[in-house]
Amino acid sequence: MSAFEPVTKSPPATETIIDVRDLRTYFPIRKGIFSHTVGYVKAVDGVTFSVDRGKTLGLVGESGCGKTTVGRTILRLIPATSGEVLYRGKSFFGYHGEELRKLRRHMQIIFQDPMSSLNPRMTIGNIIGEPMQVHGIAKGRERDERVAQLLQRVGLDPSYALRYPHEFSGGQRQRIGIARALSLSPDFIVCDEPVSALDVSIQSQILNLLQDLQQEFQISYLFIAHNLAVVEHFSDEVAVMYLGRIVEKAASRELYSNPKHPYTMALLSAVPEPDPRPKHKRIVLQGEVPSPSNPPSGCPFHPRCPLTREAAKQASDTDTVVLAPKGSMATNGHPLPVLGNEKPDRVLRKCVEQMPPLEQKQGEPGHIAACWVTK
Amino acid sequence: MTPLLEIKNLNVAFNTERGQIRPVRDVSMSIFPGQTLAVVGESGCGKSVTALSILRLIPQPPGKILGGQILFEGRDLVALREEEMQRVRGKEIAMIFQEPMTSLNPVYTIGDQIVEAVKLHQGVTSREAYQIAEQSLNDVGISDPHRRIHEYPHQMSGGMRQRVMIAMALSCRPKLLIADEPTTALDVTIQAQILELLRKLQRETGMAIMLITHDLGVVAENADAVAVMYASRVVETATVETLFDQPQHPYTEGLFRSVPKLNENAARLTTIPGSVPNPAKFPSGCKFHPRCARTRKLAASAPADQTTELKSGGEIIRVLTRCVNEEPELREIQPRQWAACHQIASYNSAKVTPPVVDHKREVTTEHSTEAMQLEAAKGQTA
Amino acid sequence: MRDERTVPRSWLARAMLDTVGKTSARLGLIWISVIAFCAVFAPFLANSYPILVKMNGHWSSPMAQHFTPTDVTLLVVTFAAIVLFVFLQRFRLFARLSAFAAIVVLTITLSLLFVHPPLTNVFEQYRDLAKSGDVQWALDAPIPYSPGDHLRDQFDPDRPHPWSPNSAHRMGTDQFGADISSHMIHACRVAMAVGFISTGIAMFIGIFIGGLMGYFVGLVDLLGMRLVEIFGAIPTLYLLLAFVSVFERNIYVIMAIIGATSWVGNARFVRAEFLKLRGQDFVQAAIASGLKLRSVMFRHVLPNALAPLLVSASFGIASAILAESVLSFLGLGLPVGEASWGALLNQAVGAGGAFQWWLGTYPGIAIFLTVFAYNLIGEALRDALDPKLRGAG
Repeated sequence: MSAFEPVTKSPPATETIIDVRDLRTYFPIRKGIFSHTVGYVKAVDGVTFSVDRGKTLGLVGESGCGKTTVGRTILRLIPATSGEVLYRGKSFFGYHGEELRKLRRHMQIIFQDPMSSLNPRMTIGNIIGEPMQVHGIAKGRERDERVAQLLQRVGLDPSYALRYPHEFSGGQRQRIGIARALSLSPDFIVCDEPVSALDVSIQSQILNLLQDLQQEFQISYLFIAHNLAVVEHFSDEVAVMYLGRIVEKAASRELYSNPKHPYTMALLSAVPEPDPRPKHKRIVLQGEVPSPSNPPSGCPFHPRCPLTREAAKQASDTDTVVLAPKGSMATNGHPLPVLGNEKPDRVLRKCVEQMPPLEQKQGEPGHIAACWVTK
Repeated sequence: MTPLLEIKNLNVAFNTERGQIRPVRDVSMSIFPGQTLAVVGESGCGKSVTALSILRLIPQPPGKILGGQILFEGRDLVALREEEMQRVRGKEIAMIFQEPMTSLNPVYTIGDQIVEAVKLHQGVTSREAYQIAEQSLNDVGISDPHRRIHEYPHQMSGGMRQRVMIAMALSCRPKLLIADEPTTALDVTIQAQILELLRKLQRETGMAIMLITHDLGVVAENADAVAVMYASRVVETATVETLFDQPQHPYTEGLFRSVPKLNENAARLTTIPGSVPNPAKFPSGCKFHPRCARTRKLAASAPADQTTELKSGGEIIRVLTRCVNEEPELREIQPRQWAACHQIASYNSAKVTPPVVDHKREVTTEHSTEAMQLEAAKGQTA
Repeated sequence: MRDERTVPRSWLARAMLDTVGKTSARLGLIWISVIAFCAVFAPFLANSYPILVKMNGHWSSPMAQHFTPTDVTLLVVTFAAIVLFVFLQRFRLFARLSAFAAIVVLTITLSLLFVHPPLTNVFEQYRDLAKSGDVQWALDAPIPYSPGDHLRDQFDPDRPHPWSPNSAHRMGTDQFGADISSHMIHACRVAMAVGFISTGIAMFIGIFIGGLMGYFVGLVDLLGMRLVEIFGAIPTLYLLLAFVSVFERNIYVIMAIIGATSWVGNARFVRAEFLKLRGQDFVQAAIASGLKLRSVMFRHVLPNALAPLLVSASFGIASAILAESVLSFLGLGLPVGEASWGALLNQAVGAGGAFQWWLGTYPGIAIFLTVFAYNLIGEALRDALDPKLRGAG
């Protein structure tokens, strides 16, 4: 297919396309008439990972965990507070102006909402063709031919180039969005919840398309989603985020069969299984995700963590603390009633006081998690 | 046992500038006391319009109930006068919506909003109404209800608001709760909490739940009976076990296969080709035929005079002529399973009967924090 | 869309079609077309000079000899618009728009340079010639009186002007003996011009300043908002009154003042749209694909911010027309002798306080219908552009 740069170079076994190092994105909280900064929402707080050529890293987490911000910060759609992103070994954050514009073609993005991701005033042909024109890849007739090839590749009729976005269904628009991202033959695509706004029967079509394109053009994906089953199916490696940090990262099979972080365990368990006779008992986490503007001390998961509570039962009193119920003041270690049940909410002192490091756990090499309790 | 709610051949039309559309066509289903009926389907399949029709909440005009009956404890809701209907709404049938952010009024405290509903339907004093409201907040697991009753919706998270919505809906002890995608806007861990809450409340009060969703996992976990809707009709209805074990309709089958499952080693997902039809331009005959794998497969080996070629989504496909010309009816394929497809072996001999699935699931899904703690205790902890 | 193979239409074109499809908008458009027709073809409809005469064996057009530069410009521009936008649709819109702009500028320049109507108008000239039998054949305008034609029946001591409607003057005459129907027709020009020019000025300034604020954000935004607040506090009518009482009366100055004080809403609107659209996914996609900020703003943000402005434009036209009527009614509008509906209203109260109904009713109805028509169109546009109402079916 001539529409794309020929992938003649047989890809070396592991070429790292994107290397993200200790990425932080803070949003200032401003208050008062002079709008001075009173604090920061640490949307992304020290995230490190890398994606190899032709591989997919899945990024899962609940709303507000910072997964979308990670994707947009890598593409420099949101300025990073600190950290580094290396694109094929070169620092992407070091470029500005014209050089940055030229580099952008190698990294593209696919959005969640197929309604707002296409300019309603432009024809499909212009939406897909404009980036090629801007980067001088193709002009005029050649451009139109490439647009037609791209449309065909994503499963749409080439005659659609003359139409406008409102004439298409959600699934078709998502295909157009994919064609736009492909038009610059990128090495890396951030897929930001690409199927969660689509109908169930359409999701699998888009997932298969993305997979085929990956094999054909050796594209690397950062696949951001909240649906664990979709991420597990689609990714080679999965990172779980909680409150702006990666709490666990492993190969996707390994993560599913041998989760090491209690949050991952809860997430896996919470996914409703399409089977009326489930084999496992489910876990329901208590409470909700805390606000990222005021995260809990120590391990950010400790207020909801069942593992630390289990471990606290066997630990000595000096190693544990009693958590005050939400909304009331702690009174010098006296137990307080918790959410209906009268048990004291006792957790490990370490989990409240110190942030656990992201370290190698038992299991496959490369399986890292941040938890004081699990090995 | 007689059904609590029985919908018989409901037809709803909307008059739009571009002509009439029919979001609900000949829909029949029934719910028994204490049962959970899941209504499953994709966008525009008519599941929400069916639910709104039960409460007569579809905007009229442009909407119109063309025909059919909605029997609630023997009374036909379609024929009720508006004032009588107002007494049914909230008191006997309550509804919760998908979007907890917009379904509470931001200018009133949550207490005011629950109390208003309680006073309207139960004829109690304000003092008693506040006690009932506090009790119902307590029932849905909101801690410290005495204080939180005076909070405004914006002070609460999405999951909490959905709990408040449920408290409000259940404050008058309705016999039927219609839950329209109650967890779609929520995170998975919160979704699990809300669904568990609904199951617990159902066990305690014995109410029936009509659960509208597109998530097959939610269906499998919560439903006793299931009705699958496609293109404004019920295409299959059965007990939850039968439906998941032996789906009869090719759409149901395709839907099950196209969803990725945890711990399943599939390199590629099976897909249903094409897109969800727009109610303004439904295909002829069986509304599923342009996307149907079964009719394509059968047409490949059928005599040429029984097949038709057509263009679907840019490709030429060959399907059975009967599927193009004739819309199948919902027939009783086997006891407690109804489906609408010409190509089910026993379809021709099966009878058209009203779908009544009187069934409670055998296995209830139990959620617990202990389960994980026990598992965790098995050698994982330090 | 009933047919799959319909011509693909842009979002704006579709909104326009939806607007035109509404009965109310259609009625409004019909009325505005009538006004526009009267404005363009006023000399053909009401004129003391015949359209064509045969005199002493020679054919001539006294009407054409008395054309003003305005008459010529309006006719040429209208003709060009019809040819370009109705018959030459196969060319690109941009090309046609540029051609149209060129024609407008050229016609104005040429007609100002080369069209010189006689300095003195002798309105009786052809009536006298016809009486004396010098005219063999004449094609008169349907209303054979120019709006400034006051002198003719002055000397009838039994019937002083103004006259109420009669067979010769269907809408009566004013106190100087001018025909009201002719006045009404020629006044359409002022009504159209006031609406379009002042709103055009307001849109231009509003888009420019609002766009700057939304584009640069930061300090420019801060200063821009203060400017918006200052201009928002100026009472337009008061400024107009002060201006016309100090300076010469001039319709263009009035338009400029209305325009220069009513851009505030547009600027706020464009700014808000810019800020909102900046965060939209399609804008992010454009940035991610390496477009320059400038082209992101012009190609992706601006067109999306403009359509909703059309709604405020049509309401703006209506209020500009009202403002001009009020001024003319107060006797502070156009120079004496120029046709305007408001000026007629001013004359409705005659000497001694008698209400001369024909001088009040006809222009009153015309103003009401025109303002109403623009409001109808504005409403329909708002419905068509509102994404919440769209796609409900």
